[in-house]
Amino acid sequence: MVNPIYLFGVSIGIAFLFSLIDKAGRKVSIAVLMLTLGFFLYTSLCYLLHFIGGKETIQVFTAGFNPPYSINLQLGLYESVFISMINGVGFLSALYLLQKFQQGSVKPLILFLMAITGFNGIVMTRDLFNLFVFIEVSSIAIYSLVSLDENEKSYAAGFKYMIAGSFASIFLLIGTIYLYRYSGTLNLFGISDFNAGKIEITATFFLFMALFIEIKPFPANGWAMDVYESTNPAIAAILSGASIAAAFFALYKILIIFAGIWYTVTLWIGVLTFIGSNLFALNQSNAQRTLGYSSLGQVGLAMMILGMTPLLGEDMPYILFGVLITHFFAKTGLFWLSGLIRGEDQKSWAQFKNSRWMLFFLGTFFFALIGMPPFPSFFAKWSLILKITAMGNSMMAVLILAGSFIEAIYLFRWFGYAVKLETPEQPEQIKYEKNKMLPIVVAMIGLYFFGIYSEHFYNSGISLDYLPIVFIALFFLFDFLPNRIKAVFALLAMGAFTWQTLPAQSGLPLIFNSIFLAGGLVTLIATFATSQKRPGFFPLAFIMFLGLSGLTTSDNMLSFFIAWEFMTIGSYLLILRGKKSMPHALSYILFSLGGAYLILLAFSLAVSWNVKDGLIIQKALALSNLGTIEGWLHPIVWSLAIIGFLTKAAGFGLHIWLPGAHSEAESDVSPLVSAILLKAGIFGMMMIMIHMGSASIPIADSGISLNYILGWIGAITAVIGTMGALFQEDAKRLLAYSSIGQLGYIIFGVALMTKFGWILAILYTVIHFLYKSTLFLGIGGMYARTHTKNMYEMGGLIKKMPFTFTSILIAIISLAGIPPLIGFAGKWMTYNSVLESGWYFQGIMVLFAGFAAFLYCYRILFGPFLGQPKDQLRNVKEASIFMLIPQYIFVGVLLYLSIQPEFLFQYVSSTISQFPVLKGEPLLWVNHVAQTSYGYWNPVLIMSVVGGSFLIVLLWLYFWVHNTHKVKQFNIVYSGESPYLPETTHYSHNFFASYRKAMGFLYALVAEKFWEWMSDAIHTIGDQGRRIYTGNGQTYAFHILIFMIAVYLFVMGGF
Amino acid sequence: MQEIIIKIGWVALTLFIVLNYGLLLRAFMMKIVARIGRRIGIPFYQMYINLFKAYSLRTHIFHGVMYYLGPVFRLTGGVGMLLFLPVIFKDPRFANFSASGDLILVLYFMFFGTLGMALGAGEGGHPNAAIGVTRGLSLMSANEIPLTMSVLAVAIQYNTFDIVKIVEAQQGGFLNWVMFANPLAFITGVLGLMGSFGYGPFAVIIAPQETPIGPPTEYEGNYMGVLELNRSIFPGAKLILFMNLFLGGATSWPILVVKTFFFYLFFVLVGAVFPRYRTEQAVRWFIKVPLLIGIIALIVTPMLK
Repeated sequence: MVNPIYLFGVSIGIAFLFSLIDKAGRKVSIAVLMLTLGFFLYTSLCYLLHFIGGKETIQVFTAGFNPPYSINLQLGLYESVFISMINGVGFLSALYLLQKFQQGSVKPLILFLMAITGFNGIVMTRDLFNLFVFIEVSSIAIYSLVSLDENEKSYAAGFKYMIAGSFASIFLLIGTIYLYRYSGTLNLFGISDFNAGKIEITATFFLFMALFIEIKPFPANGWAMDVYESTNPAIAAILSGASIAAAFFALYKILIIFAGIWYTVTLWIGVLTFIGSNLFALNQSNAQRTLGYSSLGQVGLAMMILGMTPLLGEDMPYILFGVLITHFFAKTGLFWLSGLIRGEDQKSWAQFKNSRWMLFFLGTFFFALIGMPPFPSFFAKWSLILKITAMGNSMMAVLILAGSFIEAIYLFRWFGYAVKLETPEQPEQIKYEKNKMLPIVVAMIGLYFFGIYSEHFYNSGISLDYLPIVFIALFFLFDFLPNRIKAVFALLAMGAFTWQTLPAQSGLPLIFNSIFLAGGLVTLIATFATSQKRPGFFPLAFIMFLGLSGLTTSDNMLSFFIAWEFMTIGSYLLILRGKKSMPHALSYILFSLGGAYLILLAFSLAVSWNVKDGLIIQKALALSNLGTIEGWLHPIVWSLAIIGFLTKAAGFGLHIWLPGAHSEAESDVSPLVSAILLKAGIFGMMMIMIHMGSASIPIADSGISLNYILGWIGAITAVIGTMGALFQEDAKRLLAYSSIGQLGYIIFGVALMTKFGWILAILYTVIHFLYKSTLFLGIGGMYARTHTKNMYEMGGLIKKMPFTFTSILIAIISLAGIPPLIGFAGKWMTYNSVLESGWYFQGIMVLFAGFAAFLYCYRILFGPFLGQPKDQLRNVKEASIFMLIPQYIFVGVLLYLSIQPEFLFQYVSSTISQFPVLKGEPLLWVNHVAQTSYGYWNPVLIMSVVGGSFLIVLLWLYFWVHNTHKVKQFNIVYSGESPYLPETTHYSHNFFASYRKAMGFLYALVAEKFWEWMSDAIHTIGDQGRRIYTGNGQTYAFHILIFMIAVYLFVMGGF
Repeated sequence: MQEIIIKIGWVALTLFIVLNYGLLLRAFMMKIVARIGRRIGIPFYQMYINLFKAYSLRTHIFHGVMYYLGPVFRLTGGVGMLLFLPVIFKDPRFANFSASGDLILVLYFMFFGTLGMALGAGEGGHPNAAIGVTRGLSLMSANEIPLTMSVLAVAIQYNTFDIVKIVEAQQGGFLNWVMFANPLAFITGVLGLMGSFGYGPFAVIIAPQETPIGPPTEYEGNYMGVLELNRSIFPGAKLILFMNLFLGGATSWPILVVKTFFFYLFFVLVGAVFPRYRTEQAVRWFIKVPLLIGIIALIVTPMLK
């Protein structure tokens, strides 16, 4: 092993020699620089491996003396982690800067080397004055490097940095002087025993102030934003990766010595920084500045974790590592990416939108920052939230989730720009230089590597099945193949996965997973319909299916939550593929994420309850443990989880993302997200209720039943969704709203907590999947031919597309609940449930929604298919056979279920009879007749009577009417006029105008207005807040002063 | 097998009786309306003449398959609804196929014909037909609110959806009829029904006195004949249903005739007196007073049990 002291010797020596070396040519200088940095990196990685092996920490004393006469360096596991990070980003950033280093003088090379050396020193030194020296060394180098790009903005930024840095240096020096005066040593080991009463507080106060300023705490960090905004991306990466890591480690070293109130101070500065930075970032448009805000936000989070050391105990290092390593790779990666872009605005990142790999990198970095699986931050946040909730500090968990959510808002918005922003001109061609790509690739690999590493480290007891993930990766790699070839493999893979998964399941998981997997399999047939390349479609679809299936196979909160997040990621990206789906995908992911955080909170509260009984966290994670919760916590956990799942099931108030997201998605994605994905929310709700039963707020004698409230939510959702559907012109939007309405029935059924209610819910889950898939595929197939989704622009297509019409007709009759098709069973169960439960008014609303649904049912048949054909659509053909096949499979199942529903009902009944939480009487089948104590229903007889009557009437008509005269278009009884324009003869636009006059108030978009107001409010706060950053150095100095006074008052406990 | 044939025979007889009753009933009602308007009105056999005329036309047009099937759906809807009803209480000969399902089945099967007809009318391509459909559907979704509340109230009262059981519970004197035993449910139901019979003030769907409008605009000749059959059977079936629900059912055909005649007369008289609402006015009307009474009925009924 190299003695760490040589690192400094080598670098200082080479820095001095650079002026000389440069005489031999810049290339030589650069080679020397890279070699030196490479040597640093190599050495630190060697140390890292060394210490991971469990070796003892190394202490180095200069000149052979003991402290206080010598300088003391320490190198252990933590130090080696941090110097590996610092040297890694140093090496890669230097690589990234090759072209820059080639130009101008040799000075930047010297400065660069000195900065990295300084950071290494900050991490290793155990001597206070030496710490000051290294901070100065690195700071002075950075002040100048900030202006590497030599523009006015960066000069100003560098100068402002210098002002702030001087404050830090002075404070550090004052603190050091005091400490030395009273403890007689500068060595950190010696200082730890020192006790000098009030003087100690003064001394440590200055010391910490210096370190806090180096870390750039909110709100005294305006100067740092200016630096991030204006400097070269590679330098920004250094600042965000190396500089912060070094400062953070310095804080850590000092903090564990002085502990006490400083943990609290660090915690609250962390909270302020985390939430404040993210809030202020909301209204940013400059890419690098936003990254700066986000960087400081992440540092805030890290400070929170550090501040909670007393709470987190031995878990702290792991959690902190997860957050820091994610921040490190993702943020440096993003800064490096920003250097490839021409333009400073976030919107200019749309230049990446045609490059699959760049979007992959971008997605990786963004999802990692937000804390999605499989990245280390996910596991870190999961354990953090769980641990602090278990320790009884759920308030802090809420703050962390709130901050993370705000961060997600702007990151996802930005990601949307990169993927989908419509740019007026063709995006500029980006030059991908190898030396700039390599660092980005390394950052990406690092994230995945540490993600998998974290999962093992956490040792959660769950086993992730890597085989499907390998498949997904393969699909991504072979994405260049033609669509239909990929589709064949996709069907095979999906078939195999289904075959492997379904037979092993039973009960509720089997019912839902059949919808997820078998349903997905059939829907995937539709992907053959297009011959376009469809980059990324299959891997994303598989991520979603993997998540969906994972939900049904998990018995553990962590694996359930991972599956939930996978599903969310996959579906979000699928929705984002739609042409105009950018804003809708954003609102989808934000609602989903909000929901996920609520679920996480619910889970962590559940764990905290069980941990109280002495269970260790890993054991407490079983989903069945939800059932043990009692008292006040029960309704809280229940509501959090149910609201979380309602975001996915589009309950009223949380539904506003749905119409846009489902209607703007691609033709074969819409059925996936609308008919299949929504059911995940229902599954979640059912899981919660199976384990936790019904809930009520324990005030008054009998309490306020939360199920009753949920029943109302279901009823309102049904009405709102249906009303929305009535007044849409866009067929897919109509179907999307209709899904909201139908989900309302299901939510109502689930809320009932009776056997009838659940049969109702599960029945609708199954048949809504069948007919809504058919409808979306039907409309999708039509769209491919007509290129419009507006119903009034079509008309008379029944003669061109008879097969599509027939499948849609059958689906619509099922949806409307008209006997003899299976939809009627839903209505019948609804009436029985209402009568049994006594929830008459909710029931009336649900039933009214059912009647009003006839209106849109008719509209979607009439608008496109009946009435007058349009001139421009005279030559359209029947929809693609590949769109029709899945439709007819679904229609076949619908018809089969209409004749033989008993099989499904029996299976559902026997499944739910295992859940003791469900009250009420069971549904009986006697001689193929469904019976309850209220009524009966004989599907076979109904089918025979209706079929027989229909046939007889048809024969009757045929007997009288056979020699018919086929009339042409416009040959209608028209009061003496002769119509000639289909546009004026096809009555389809604003179809239910008079109904709207009377009932339009029910389509009031209250929820939409509420969320708009909410979003405006948050953005306004962020926007007004960030105005304190005037760009003036004096103002920034003033901020630091105020910050200092505030911290002082906090530490002293007031005036 | 023999059983089935006998059953079908009885069913056919029921159908025949109801059809003729319906034809006569409609003619009588038109005559009454005419007399209110101080006109002489049509002869009581006018509907037979109409049918004869319709079936005698020799030319037929064809707009498409759905257009052709529209009247089939319509009549199947009417016939089917009747077939699912027990017509005469405690008389198995006229119980039809009521073993297929309960009240809910009958209520929802009403829409079978509505939807089919609307589709057929749609393929006819006449804008007035489509406008008629939108009016009809709008009105229907509104009048179903009080109607459903009323049906639910009756079901709550007797704790069943089985029509026979509901009729059974109303036996033993007219005071046991829902009409008197639960007047709020009855009033709600009647107000709801007003919208569904197509008389004023809710006659906007077909709007008899205007230029041809409404779903049947494009239907003439034998198509019209099929629709005419349904116009007699469907209201008959509806009347029988609500007689069962509100008026204690009927133990014989004469009682059935008396009850349904006067029940129907009410709607006709209201229609003869009140002017027609526009669609949105009609829709609004249903969500005001009838809705309010319905809510009260649903609150009060559970207490009556």
